[in-house]
Amino acid sequence: MTTPPPPPGPSIGTTYFTAFGVDERLIREALSSALSRGGEYADLFFQHRIAHNFVLEDGSVNRAFKGTELGVGVRVVKGDQTGYAFTEDLSLESIRQAARTAATIADGSQGEAPERFHITTGLPSRYATERHWDNVRPEEKLPLLTGLNDRTFSMDPAIRKVNITFGDETSAILIADSSGRVVEDIQPMTLLYLSCVAEKNGEREQNTYGVAARKDMSFYSKDRLDLIVQEAVDRTMILFDAVQPPAGEMPIVLGAGASGILLHEAIGHGMEADFNRKGTSIYADKIGKKVAHPFINIVDEGTEEGARGSINIDDEGNAVGRTNLVEDGVLTTYLHDSISAKHYGVKPTGNGRRESYQYPPLPRMRSTYMLPGPHKKEEIIASVKKGLFCTNFTNGQVQIGAGDFTFYVKNGYLIEDGKLTRPIKDVNIIGNGPKVLERIDMVADDLTIDQGGWTCGKDGQSVPVSQGIPTVRVSSITVGGRSERS
Amino acid sequence: MTTRETVGEEFKEIARAAVTAARVAGAQGVAARVGKVRDVGVQWRDGQIEQVTESTTRGLALSLYVDGCFASVSTSDLRPEAIGPFIADAVAMTRTLSQDPFRVLPDPALYLNRPDLDLEFADPEYNNLSATRRRDLARTIEDAARSVTAADKILSVTTSVSDSRSEMFRVTSNGFEGERIDTSFWLSGSVTVKDSDGRRPEEGDFSGGRFVRDLGDPKRVGESSAQRALARLGSSKAASNAMTMVLDNRAAGRLVSALLSPLAASSIQQRRSFLEGRAGQEVGSPLLHIEDDPLIPKGFGSRHFDGEGISARKLPIFDRGVLRNYYIDTYYGRKLSMPPTTGGTSNLSWALGSRSQAALIADAKEGVFVTGFLGGNSNGTTGDYSFGVQGFMIRQGASAEPVAEMNISGNQLELWKRLAGVGNDPYPYSPLRTPTLVFENVSFAGI
Repeated sequence: MTTPPPPPGPSIGTTYFTAFGVDERLIREALSSALSRGGEYADLFFQHRIAHNFVLEDGSVNRAFKGTELGVGVRVVKGDQTGYAFTEDLSLESIRQAARTAATIADGSQGEAPERFHITTGLPSRYATERHWDNVRPEEKLPLLTGLNDRTFSMDPAIRKVNITFGDETSAILIADSSGRVVEDIQPMTLLYLSCVAEKNGEREQNTYGVAARKDMSFYSKDRLDLIVQEAVDRTMILFDAVQPPAGEMPIVLGAGASGILLHEAIGHGMEADFNRKGTSIYADKIGKKVAHPFINIVDEGTEEGARGSINIDDEGNAVGRTNLVEDGVLTTYLHDSISAKHYGVKPTGNGRRESYQYPPLPRMRSTYMLPGPHKKEEIIASVKKGLFCTNFTNGQVQIGAGDFTFYVKNGYLIEDGKLTRPIKDVNIIGNGPKVLERIDMVADDLTIDQGGWTCGKDGQSVPVSQGIPTVRVSSITVGGRSERS
Repeated sequence: MTTRETVGEEFKEIARAAVTAARVAGAQGVAARVGKVRDVGVQWRDGQIEQVTESTTRGLALSLYVDGCFASVSTSDLRPEAIGPFIADAVAMTRTLSQDPFRVLPDPALYLNRPDLDLEFADPEYNNLSATRRRDLARTIEDAARSVTAADKILSVTTSVSDSRSEMFRVTSNGFEGERIDTSFWLSGSVTVKDSDGRRPEEGDFSGGRFVRDLGDPKRVGESSAQRALARLGSSKAASNAMTMVLDNRAAGRLVSALLSPLAASSIQQRRSFLEGRAGQEVGSPLLHIEDDPLIPKGFGSRHFDGEGISARKLPIFDRGVLRNYYIDTYYGRKLSMPPTTGGTSNLSWALGSRSQAALIADAKEGVFVTGFLGGNSNGTTGDYSFGVQGFMIRQGASAEPVAEMNISGNQLELWKRLAGVGNDPYPYSPLRTPTLVFENVSFAGI
């Protein structure tokens, strides 16, 4: 049997991946193998990602890392079932072998690969850059690090060590599916972390500040660099006066911005539709129910220009907009990938994301935040007789089914009689998602999206996300801390 | 006499050719590593297959020492036409960095005396697990989970059967060559149950080993997953108090990792370690007695040489509470003027107690039996920690009602001095091999 000549129609031969031998014929034959046992749907996810890291330690940029990943993942779907395989060899033979492996999820007869492919055009441009990071020479990046190092040391004589990591990444992706859709995107990312160690009166403290964005070198403006140095030093030096707070239940006020970690853990993960279609989330069967005060609105979107969690398309090729998780206190929409959208009979929400070609997509968050509310920050702090004001966080975690979640507070203050008093440090806070949502009883008008390099982990896959929140009050939650034997 | 499988010459040649190419491009020192990993997995949920995955990943990683500068690079793009430019670019990038006199390949003397033991990494029967067998095992785990008492409260059961085979070969320009092939096989079960208050607690269990015959009993995995999940029903938080903590051997690794990471030479040299300057001092109770042991057959952390090529040997870490050694690699060792030991942990070998977990709970009389951590962190610079925990109250020497949504907090230097009991039950599925641990007077936060 001979291969028929390619049918007329739009050619996809002009893409980024042409240089790797990826053309219509290869895509068609790969999809044909993927559907060889009658899967309902198949897609290919090509990726070429180049990442750099430069590290400054002990005064000089004395190490660098570069990683290149090239590969294609083949997914075959039948109902809720998925077959997945990938290869790092982009030859037709190797891709067809991966496709036949993924195809074993189904057990029917050969399905038809599309005759024609259509490139999705008119994608939004949420992270246009003047130059791809791969074209920025190290010599342009390195002075950034040495400059930050010098300024950090000049801020305070107590600074003993400064460690700076600068990372950049360019990821080109091409998604082709069995409906004939082809979508391409080039996704930049950069991040910068500055960490310092200080010594005072024989004690030592260490803290970190970082920023991240899908932007180019212009992201590192003088103002932003000043902010990085100031924040890293302030967040470290204040720890010398900080204590671990007393243990137990108390009200907490969460500062605008990074405190969005609460939403990510308390509701975001639980709203990912895969857990709900399996019935394993505490939010399963709760759509349409009142879960919070009426002034509470929580969204997940991927549209903000240059934000770390923004994407022009998701990793299944679906459009990315804004999804309302909670509208006027009522649970509204789950975060869907195409499998769950089909399961629920709704449109995909553009939340199908994956770490790389090595993984199948899952419903994931993008940028999750709460919209502004009716209160003022000052009035919220003044309302607390004895509690905590939390500003900086390192990590969080959730149990999707039980709903218990935690986040680790690195900086904050005690609130005593409505005023911020002693700084606090190193305390874990634990609560239950739905209970804590009900207890968010004040929301300020100062929504801030945090610029930190947040990374979300699920099923062993990491994806970049953003989060934000206005200043809010949680009327009661369990604060880790020191308790004496009673 | 056993014959061990070896990595193919063609694959090794990729690494050797990369060393040559890097030297031609101007590197004075080079370490090259090629790796290939095949992963196969079946995930099963509620009576049918949820996902099948099967893939082989491969890659080349290089450490480059160029005119006193250092960089490390990796690529999965092994097309011959791509590797050449990749290495040339990498060498050029390295040259743009600051020179670093501390950055050198290890002293070749440390490559000598590599132990010649069969650590039983690779199952010769690797390919004998068929797709049908995987499916049957996955189904058996679910069936067992649904066979336990009170199974009507089960909402969903997810199980998985997976295996992995990896090959690696490493070569350096100063005389190191080493290779390994290893395999592992795993069974897991995860069960979600319905609580009366709308919560849907999830718990699970797993088993596995280096050889297919060490997979374990799928029925036991299923039953235990369900029993663990059902035991979470009706959990509540207890009052904040300082109490005795009996820490399950499966969960203890989290706390032990927080003690080990400040022992890295990088933490010491960067002044981010509360254990700096404490070698020879008592930092824990006499029961804290741990040796790093890379030579345990079938151990998940076992090795003949470490990541830098340094020949493996046992290393005492804590000797009856006294800190004996740090984890020192070549680079930070030179910065600290300390001889390298090894840059990373292998397996931990504990001085085990004679008591079972049940006996330790009975001895404690009152307290909390902690079976899992949820989030939290430990500050390696100061030793302050705060972790979310769940488990069971201990009442009259027995595990009683479930507790959740609580935290423990304190400082590690206090905590390890309060280590009052060590079980006889090293956890077999982690290289940390933690036994059940008992700590007195731990700060719990709840109501």
